[in-house]
Order: sequence, then C-alpha cells, then structure tokens
Amino acid sequence: MAMKSALKSIRERGLGSFLRELKEEGFLRALLDGNLMQTKLHNRGATLVGVDKFGNKYYQKLDEQFGRHRWVEYAEKSRYNASQVPPEWHGWLHCMTDHTGDELLMLKPKRYGLEHRENLSGEGEEFIYHSKGHFLNPEQRDWSRYQPWEPSKKE
Amino acid sequence: MSFTLRAVKVPPNSVNLEEARSRVFEIFKTACRSIPSIMEIYNLDDIVSKSQLRSIIASEIRKNANVTNPKVIDMLLFKGTEELNNILEHAKQRHHVIGQYVLGPQGLVQDLDPKDQGLSSFLKNFYKSNYF
Amino acid sequence: MGLGLLASRAMRPLKYSNSRVFIRSIVSKPELQSPEASSAAAATALEPDLPPRSPVGGARVHFPNPEDAIEVFVDGYPLKIPKGFTVLQACEVAGVDIPRFCYHSRLSIAGNCRMCLVEVEKSPKPVASCAMPALPGMKIKTDTPLAKKAREGVMEFLLMNHPLDCPICDQGGECDLQDQSMAFGSDRGRFTEMKRSVVDKNLGPLVKTVMTRSSVPHNFWLNRCVRFATEVAGVQDLGMLGRGSGEEIGTYVEKLMTSELSGNVIDICPVGALTSKPFAFKARNWELKGTETIDVTDAVGSNIRIDSRGPEVMRILPRLNEDINEEWISDKTRFCYDGLKRQRLNDPMIRGVDGRFKAVNWRDALAVVAEVMLQAKPEEIVGIAGRLSDAESMMALKDFLNRMGSNNVWCEGTGAQPNADLRSGYIMNTSISGLEKADCFLLVGTQPRVEAAMVNARIRKTVRANNAKVGYIGPATDLNYDHQHLGTGPKTLLEIAEGRHPFFSAISNAKNPVIIVGAGLFERKDKDAIFSTVEAIAKKGNVIRPDWNGLNVLLLNAAQAAALDLGLVPESSNSIESAKFVYLMGADDVDLEKLPNDAFVVYQGHHGDHGVYRANVILPASAFSEKEGTYENTEGCTQQTLPAVPTVGDARDDWKIIRALSEVAGMRLPYDTIGGIRSRIRTVAPNLLHVDEREPATLGPSLKPEIKSEMDLTPFGSAVENFYMTDSITRASKTMAQCSAMLLKK
Repeated sequence: MAMKSALKSIRERGLGSFLRELKEEGFLRALLDGNLMQTKLHNRGATLVGVDKFGNKYYQKLDEQFGRHRWVEYAEKSRYNASQVPPEWHGWLHCMTDHTGDELLMLKPKRYGLEHRENLSGEGEEFIYHSKGHFLNPEQRDWSRYQPWEPSKKE
Repeated sequence: MSFTLRAVKVPPNSVNLEEARSRVFEIFKTACRSIPSIMEIYNLDDIVSKSQLRSIIASEIRKNANVTNPKVIDMLLFKGTEELNNILEHAKQRHHVIGQYVLGPQGLVQDLDPKDQGLSSFLKNFYKSNYF
Repeated sequence: MGLGLLASRAMRPLKYSNSRVFIRSIVSKPELQSPEASSAAAATALEPDLPPRSPVGGARVHFPNPEDAIEVFVDGYPLKIPKGFTVLQACEVAGVDIPRFCYHSRLSIAGNCRMCLVEVEKSPKPVASCAMPALPGMKIKTDTPLAKKAREGVMEFLLMNHPLDCPICDQGGECDLQDQSMAFGSDRGRFTEMKRSVVDKNLGPLVKTVMTRSSVPHNFWLNRCVRFATEVAGVQDLGMLGRGSGEEIGTYVEKLMTSELSGNVIDICPVGALTSKPFAFKARNWELKGTETIDVTDAVGSNIRIDSRGPEVMRILPRLNEDINEEWISDKTRFCYDGLKRQRLNDPMIRGVDGRFKAVNWRDALAVVAEVMLQAKPEEIVGIAGRLSDAESMMALKDFLNRMGSNNVWCEGTGAQPNADLRSGYIMNTSISGLEKADCFLLVGTQPRVEAAMVNARIRKTVRANNAKVGYIGPATDLNYDHQHLGTGPKTLLEIAEGRHPFFSAISNAKNPVIIVGAGLFERKDKDAIFSTVEAIAKKGNVIRPDWNGLNVLLLNAAQAAALDLGLVPESSNSIESAKFVYLMGADDVDLEKLPNDAFVVYQGHHGDHGVYRANVILPASAFSEKEGTYENTEGCTQQTLPAVPTVGDARDDWKIIRALSEVAGMRLPYDTIGGIRSRIRTVAPNLLHVDEREPATLGPSLKPEIKSEMDLTPFGSAVENFYMTDSITRASKTMAQCSAMLLKK
C-alpha cells in the first residue's frame, strides 16, 4: 500500500522531487532517529486532525490503545521538544479537551496575549534568562534612583 | 579535596634567606602568569586592568617585607600558594575577589595614597564617604 | 495552668485593696488638715469604677471664661467642657473617639455623613454629634446598641455606591472608610444592584480624582474638599452639581484647581476619591519610611514628613504644627520632591581648558580650589550662600572665608546692605499664629500668596474670622481674600505715613494692626528709606506696643533669617565687580554678569541649575532631604531637618565640604562634627540652637539710627515671579514645570 502510493507519486512528480519531499518530511532523518521513525510508522492510517501555526501535525487514531491515540509530529525534525506545542493544542494533545487547537484559537483574546515561544534552555548564551540586575544581562537595568546632571547637555 | 592537596603540597623548607627570596619571586611570577585566567574567570575586565592586578599582588607581598625568618616566609608562601589555588579553582565568587583584592577593606586599593599620611582623620573619612 | 489562673484571680482583689489602703495612708495627713480636700477625696472615691481615659489625640480644653463651663456625661463620666462645644468635641475630651467622615476640626460643620451618630438620653432618635451643641446635663452614650446599629447602617449606606477597588486604590492602607468599615461596618452587604459610576474630572497636574469612589448615596456628602476649597484655600473652584444620586462634585466647567493649597484636599479626603497624581501607583503607604523634618522651599518652614522608600523620596505630607502651618502645606512643598531626583550633581567636576566639565575625585577638586583660593588676594574672595543653605554650612563658610582674610560673605536675596543688627528688622515679630489676633493688615510690597502660602492662609483665616481689613501696596495681584489695593509704590506709602491716606485711619483705629513688609524690598536701593517710612507709620499708628508688635518682615528664603542672625553681611556692596574667586554655596540667583571674566567660580550645590554654568569647579552637596541642618523661619523659629534618604553619588554635606576644603587650604576650621559647629554657632547666635522654639526679637526698631534718604518713586515689583519655581529643587521638578505651564496658559 505504502509502496504503491510512493510509486504513484514518483510517476506523477518525478524522482527528484520525490526524494526532496522524502528529505523534507524527515524520512532520511528517521533512518537514524528511532523516535521519528516510530512516529512515521505510527502515522500510517491515522487521521490528521490539524496543523498548527508552527507546522506541527496532530494525529489521532482511535483504534489505538488509549493514551497512544493522539500524538504530534513536530515540524522541526532535528531538534524537537514538547515545548514547541502551542498552548491551544496542548489541551487536545493531552486529552484534557476534545476541542482541537483550531477551535480553541478562536477564543484567544485579540488585544493581548504573547505569541507562544518554545523553551530555549540550553540553546546558547543568548537564550539564557538573566535577571534585570544580572551582570551578564546586556540590558542590565540601571538601579540608580536619580538622574544626574549632564554637563554637556546645555552648552 | 584530593586535588587541592595535590596542588598545594608542602615544599621542603628553605635553607636560607636567599632561597626563600627566590621562592617569593617565583610565586609572584606564577601569580602574574595566572592574571589573565583570573580576569577571565571572574569577569574583571571592566573593573581593573592587568597592571593594576599586578601591583595589587606586589603590594600584598610587600606587606610582609619586614619578615626575615625563612621559616615564616615559607609559611607565608604556602598560604599565598593556597590562596592563589583557591582563586584559580573558582573557589571564590566574583565579589570575593573584588572585595578582597580590587577594593581593599579601605576602599579602592589604588586609591590608598601615601600622601594621606599627614591628613586629619576627618579629611581621610571625608574622602571615603559622606557618612562618618 | 488552671491553678495559676485561680491563684492570680485570688491575688488580684487582694492587691487592689492593698494599694487602696496604701493610698489612703498617704492622704490621711492633709485630710486631717483641710476638710475641703478630704471631701474632694471622698467624692473621687464615690466615682463609678471605670477605667481612666485620656483625651483623644491629646485634646486640650481651654476655658475662655470659667463661668461658661457646663457639665455633661459621656458614658456615665461627668465632664466639664466650655459652652459651645459640640457633642463630638465633648466625647473627644472624654477620650471617646467618635467615627466621622464629614467632620473636620478645621472646617465648618456639615453634618451630612451621619457617621457620628450617638445616643443622647431623652432624645427620640440618635443625634449627629458633630453638629449638635452640648447642653448642660446631657447624658451622651456612645457604645449602646442603638449607636452601634446606627453606625452600621450608615456604613452600609456609604459603602453602597463605593467601588470595591481597594487593591488598586492609592488610599488603601490609610483610608478612613477602610478603617471604619472594619471597626463599625457590617460583616456583609445587602446591596445587589449596579454600582453608580461617575466620569472622572481633570483637576490639574496635582490632584487625581476617582469620582466613583466618593460615596454619594442620597444626599450624604462628605464634601470636605468643597469646604476646604472655599474656606481655607479661598477658591470657588469645587462645587456640587445635580441632585439626588446624580449629585456630584465638580469644578465648575471643569476648571483646574488654581489654589496654591490644592494638594491638601488629598489629605482631607477620607476616601480615595482625591489622591496625589504624581504619587499615583508609585508605592503603598506601608512600604514607606517617614522622616519628620521641615520644608525649605519658602521661609515659612512648614513641618513636613518625608515618606521615602530606599533612596527615593516618594511623597511629602504635612505635619501638625499649630504655630506655623497648622496641618496644611503648599503645593510647592508637597510636590517639589521629584526635583530631588533630577538634575543632581553627583561627582566633583572641573572645567577643563576646552570648557567642558570632567568628573574628578574629591582629592583633586579640593586641591584645585585650594590652590586658586590661596593665590587670590583676601579682598578678592567672595562667598555667597544660597537660599536653601542651612545655618551650619553658612557658619562654616563665614568662618572659613574670614580665616582667608575676606569678609565678603552674604546670603543671596538679602540685598546689598542688609540690616543684620536689629533682629526685629528682618523677622516676623507678630509670629505667624499671632496674625490671627490682628484686625487690620497693611501689606507693603509683598504678595504673601506666592511668597509664603501658609502665611497667606493665616491672613485669610483671620479675614474670614474677624473681618480684618487688608490694605495692599504693590503690583496688582490676586490675593484670595477681600483687600483694598491702595497703590503700587512708595508714593502711597508716603501718603499713609503723612496721614493723608484714608487707610491710615484704619490702621490707627485698629486694635491690633499688622504691617507686613516683603523681603523683596531688600533688593531696592532705597530700602532704608522705605523701612524708615514704614516705621514712621508704625509709630504713628501705634503698631508697636509693649503687648503687641505688629511690624513684620516676610522673608522669602529658608536661609535668610539664619544668615542674618549669623551676620552674613557683605563688607562692600560691589565686591562682585572686583572678585577673583567666588564661592557659591548653592547660590543660583546671584547676578554674575558683572563678574570679571578671569574670576574663578566654585559652585557647591546639589542641582545643576543657573549657578553651574559659570562655575569652574563643581562640588556636589546634599539636598535638604539628605542632611541634618538648622533653619530659621521667617518668624524666628528655629527648626531642624533630618536626613530621610542617603546622598546621591559622591556628594557630601555642605559643612563637611567647607571643613575639608579649609584643611586642604591649610586654614583648618576647629570643628569636626556637627555638634562642634553648633557650639560655634552658640557663640554667634544662640537662638539657632533652641530648636522648635520661636525666639522673639528683644529690641524694637526704636534704637535704629535716624535715616534721612529720599525714596525712589518707582513702584514695587513682585518678588516671586512664578510661585512654583523659586529654587534649584523646584526648578528641576517636572511636576512644578507642569503647574507653572498650566498657570501661564490660563
């Protein structure tokens, strides 16, 4: 079945684009990354419930064992982690709710609310949080409570 | 623990003053060589310069210029080596180094002026802070 | 535990009876000697056994006439009070604090909040104690179930339309409504309807309004602010609009509060409806550290409390002082504090050859100053103290320059030839609280409203209380009470002195006439002639009597009185033209135009203000909120500031800088501590050490030598152009800048 669809797409779009697609979808990486391979195998026959704004794909397969029936395939194939799931999909993915992220996104307040950011801990010096008074914080806060007179200002 | 013990092993006593003296120069040179790594470890670049640190080390050594007993000098040398090792092993924090060496207990070490000797205690305090 | 409790219970009556026996044994002797005392003792023994109470807030009863005393009973306590006291005042004397919102001891009685309801025997309903005069034999009950229920009901009404926004309210923590609803309110509300909301008003840059918070169920109005504005501040800006629950407080046509006392409505508002705009959302009041100190922005020396958090002054509040500022302060005093955080000098600086300032350390700065100073000739050295200088630093400056051989030391604003010999010639002899006894005022070249707002409030109080006449000579101005504008210059003064002017008869017929001369006249060349004319009026009008001295000078700056007491008088009037070395100690308003170009100027001060731009060396000093210093106010009352916050940057106290400089220059001053300077001051002006005491002038102006000089007939100018910006602190303040911009726009 899988072979048949693969052959079909080779026939339709040519070998080069088929291979490129394989690479983009992470199949090449899956050869080395067991996790990804398992996800890929798991995906067969599952329904794609939705894709979030980062490109993560959310799958569901109800005839699976409960608890393994919802999962995500991360858009990022090399450096994925759970914090890449945006809050609107978190509830669906963890079976807190049956509303998909796309439905919950409509409830998001328009005027405020920050864009979701993944946790970048361990990704390098510039992503480490330094408190506002920290020596290494490039925007180290000025704690002086007065404003000194600047001699050159008015001359 | 074992590392520290290995690093600070007790050298044999100096036989005479000359040997002790050469050992003092030895430790001064070692300390001066380690200045770049100290500045790296404790982020001291925007606070002191290398030459200031060198003069601080020299003044720490000169504090004991009046000691003539080789045994005492050996003991002081041991203490100095130990301190240097502690600093290099990051056993101290940045503010320890700044507080103990860059700023002495009397304020900025380089501010201690030999000219201050004849001043009244009022003026000495005045130069230090408003609150005395 | 049970045993101990039992034992203590058993012990207590025993002890009590023991002590009684003991007391009796003491009084037994006079008992035998005088029967009257023994009967008094018997009367006290018969008194109901109630715990003793002391009057609320140390309230004192003053009986103007002993026959007018009446007796009332508060909770069974017999009490003697003078006639005309209200029930609430009687309760205060008895030590019972009655809850109140609308009542304020310094404002007229409104009686509309109903919070102060008490039960009076034989009265069918509870009475509002603030509006009810106490009658002889009245039996007042303050803690009966009826009174408690009445309070609870009133509280419920007041809270009905009060929003539930205490967590974001600036009054939270010092709110009368919060406290009293905790103490007297019900534990639950029955109000389920929608709360009323009112659009906020713009009351200018100082006062923030949250009109919804001013609770207006029915016609209850706390309206303290309206009464304050009309009675104390003397502006008809606030008023009430509408009826019923649609009633609200408004400035008519949303006019801005133009009063110079408008900040006080923040203090008297018992709820959070009027709060301070600059302080809004800056701090909660329980984080603040209060320092009781005095104000130096004018010569009144208002008592203030500086509330600070860490190194920052967060707000300034008035402190009660009946003799000086009662419980009000002017807006300049209250809101100038943001100037303390801006434009501060924090490092010693030396102007290089390229004309730019470079920060140096104290060692180098003092060395440069000392070197230049020693090269100058003694008569070419000039020292000028600023308008905010404390007595200690002025003493040090004078001593130091005298040691250098120069005698040209003065305080700015005192004019070229100040009269420092007779103390009565430069202080307010009547005293500020004494002005209340006056019934006729003559203001000569002074506009107290802008020069000393608290003195103006006193005059206004007097004018309201006993219809005192006010005559004013000077440029046309808006005093906020009825006054006759007699003229603009010395011509009118001459007419009065010669008795040709109708106002002269008002002065001579008055019981306690007061003449107030503005210190702005010190700068005039013909000031001696003006002062002798004023003294002539005083002599003819019987203004100075043994029991009444009505001849006053209203000073402008906090430093002036102390400077004249210390004898900071220039030797020659044109010393600036020939000066080679000028030491400005916070002096910003000195005219340095005539100074030779090669003169060396040292500026010691806390703000980068006018004085800095001509300076060669800047020495940073501490502001009044950061140092301990002695100030004498215009009536001769000595007061001290206390440090509320630390100094900024590398600044030092004024007197320490001069002491250090004297040592570097080799002319070491003999004191090392502030106590040392004070004992030096004792030898010069001992009255500056009698803190919080008013020292009246001992000698009158009659000793003054006769002066025969002609008056210049140019009209008097106004001494203060802009009320909100008079010194370096207020000029640096953003709030004050906004205020004066508002003022100019109008």
